[in-house]
Amino acid sequence: MTIDKNYRCKVRTPDDFDEFWGDVMSDAAAIPMNTSIEKDDLRSNDEVDVYQVFYDSLDNLRVSGWYAVPKGATGKLPAMIQFPGYLSDPMIPREWAAKGYACFSVNPRGKVRSRTQFDPGYPGLLTFGIVDRNSYSYRGFYVDAWRSVDFLLERPEVDASRIGGVGGSQGGGLAITAAAMRKEITAVSISAPYLCGHMDAIELSHTYPYDEINDYLETYPERRKDVEETVAYFDGISFCDKITCPVIVNVGLQDNVVPPETGYSVYNAIASEDKKFYEYDGHGHEAGKYIHGAIIDEFFETHLKGGE
Amino acid sequence: MATQKPENFDAFWNDVDEDLAGIPLAPEIEPIPIRSNANADLYGVRITSVGPYRLFGYLSIPKGEGPFPAIFYTPKNGSVHEVIPQGTATGMRKRYVTFSIAARGMRNSDKPYAAMFPGQLTDGLESSDTYVYRGIAADTLRGMDYLLTRPEVDRSRIVAWGNDNALLAAARRNSITHVVTTPAYLLDTIEHALQTSAYPLAEFSDYLRLYPDRKDDVVATLEMYNLRWHAESIKAETLIKADHATGTYNPGVLEVLESGIAGNVTVHESERSSSRDGLNGEKWLTANLIGPDAELIIPEHWENHPE
Repeated sequence: MTIDKNYRCKVRTPDDFDEFWGDVMSDAAAIPMNTSIEKDDLRSNDEVDVYQVFYDSLDNLRVSGWYAVPKGATGKLPAMIQFPGYLSDPMIPREWAAKGYACFSVNPRGKVRSRTQFDPGYPGLLTFGIVDRNSYSYRGFYVDAWRSVDFLLERPEVDASRIGGVGGSQGGGLAITAAAMRKEITAVSISAPYLCGHMDAIELSHTYPYDEINDYLETYPERRKDVEETVAYFDGISFCDKITCPVIVNVGLQDNVVPPETGYSVYNAIASEDKKFYEYDGHGHEAGKYIHGAIIDEFFETHLKGGE
Repeated sequence: MATQKPENFDAFWNDVDEDLAGIPLAPEIEPIPIRSNANADLYGVRITSVGPYRLFGYLSIPKGEGPFPAIFYTPKNGSVHEVIPQGTATGMRKRYVTFSIAARGMRNSDKPYAAMFPGQLTDGLESSDTYVYRGIAADTLRGMDYLLTRPEVDRSRIVAWGNDNALLAAARRNSITHVVTTPAYLLDTIEHALQTSAYPLAEFSDYLRLYPDRKDDVVATLEMYNLRWHAESIKAETLIKADHATGTYNPGVLEVLESGIAGNVTVHESERSSSRDGLNGEKWLTANLIGPDAELIIPEHWENHPE
């Protein structure tokens, strides 16, 4: 199949989008973080100290994460939030810490260490409660991810003016929503963004995890309208016009998980004037990461370290 | 690098098989309508492994007359248990019986034991008596035992697909006729773990950093799972998906498997492209299980690869 690089996803931002998310954010703001942080000697090494972190989120659910800082660092550090993929267990961000960042890797609800109170499973997470924006799994999942900014703001070693966001696949989708909703994020790298153009993606390719939605609609065809209405509130593209910080986006043109067409649509919808797009022909869902990794490093060096 | 197979290697694995033989499979099978479609029906399967421990698996059976070739998705090192791997064309379920078993600790098989990731690979590692991997290996074999009970399966065409556990399964179950494997941690584990900070191998180096005095015991425990010693028992036609030349399990490192496996072996060095590597695997699978001229069932976006 040929990739339409001018593709525009059909999602339209709901009229009450800001009101909906404003209410959610107000609910979240009323919940104290109750952060706990404990050094993990097993995962710390000669270069990096690793901590297990927990904080409260929407629905009074306890969310976990890994926090890594360069050992022996002095002064304020630039910080990074690493957002997780859909299936993968969240990574311990030692590599980012070794590069000089205070990095938090968040495990939103349902992920390992955050699934005691909520665990719809895989497959399952993508369609849990999908008939109503107030019950949809990603309402809390997004907030869990966004509160990682609040965690970093609590840390005395973090320079609050230099916080970046990075992620691939679902991590890319989360990075989009976080950069839109939390202006403390001042630079963001988005790879193969999932959760963008849901209703297009389920037609453009037929693989899991997007096929979870096709499974659902085949079983409950009468709920299509409700599903379309719900996901419009959560579609990354609905958030893109709020992103004003520097952005880089990369996609693989042979991506079998996230259709690259949706990546073009994301990029075109981003409001930031400082944005750049990278396409990798001959690459799949890894989106050319072996080449693109150096570009991501340079991007954050420039925007979070002043090109030092 | 280990140079000699442990003296009690065969006894250890015979004990695993004896333990399994002493426990009824006791399968329970239930339809999962939401994951069934025009191509295939999906079922949830519960069976018993050593412990005893109750496991869960996803069984997909094509519509129509069988028997069908089968793909046995062996447990991976991660919490998530999938029906078929992310990014696989769902149309594959039209052609193959697929069975994906969750080993103890993974989702769907996580009661009472919910493993941590990272964490699973070093759970009980201080002793071969307590190491969790004996159970995980047994669970893998148990999954294969169940698949063989299915009348829909063409016994002349069964592929084990996965990481290291696919090779363990093929070593202990000659009913596996083909293997597609991406070795990740069970070949000369400690030697390679000490050279990388990347997970999953880093689980072992993390462990030895904290408990350096346990190194000899850890090495001895892991030798039972060392693919080096299992290779000669593998009679299946095998595709090894190796790391890129700069990676840990590159073709050079895996030469010991290429030469040691008794069946025919093809090694594919990663092209650092998940689509190219994936396409190569699907071509190999189709050619070997269906026929050299058979149509590929691949994701839509793999059809426009540049040369």
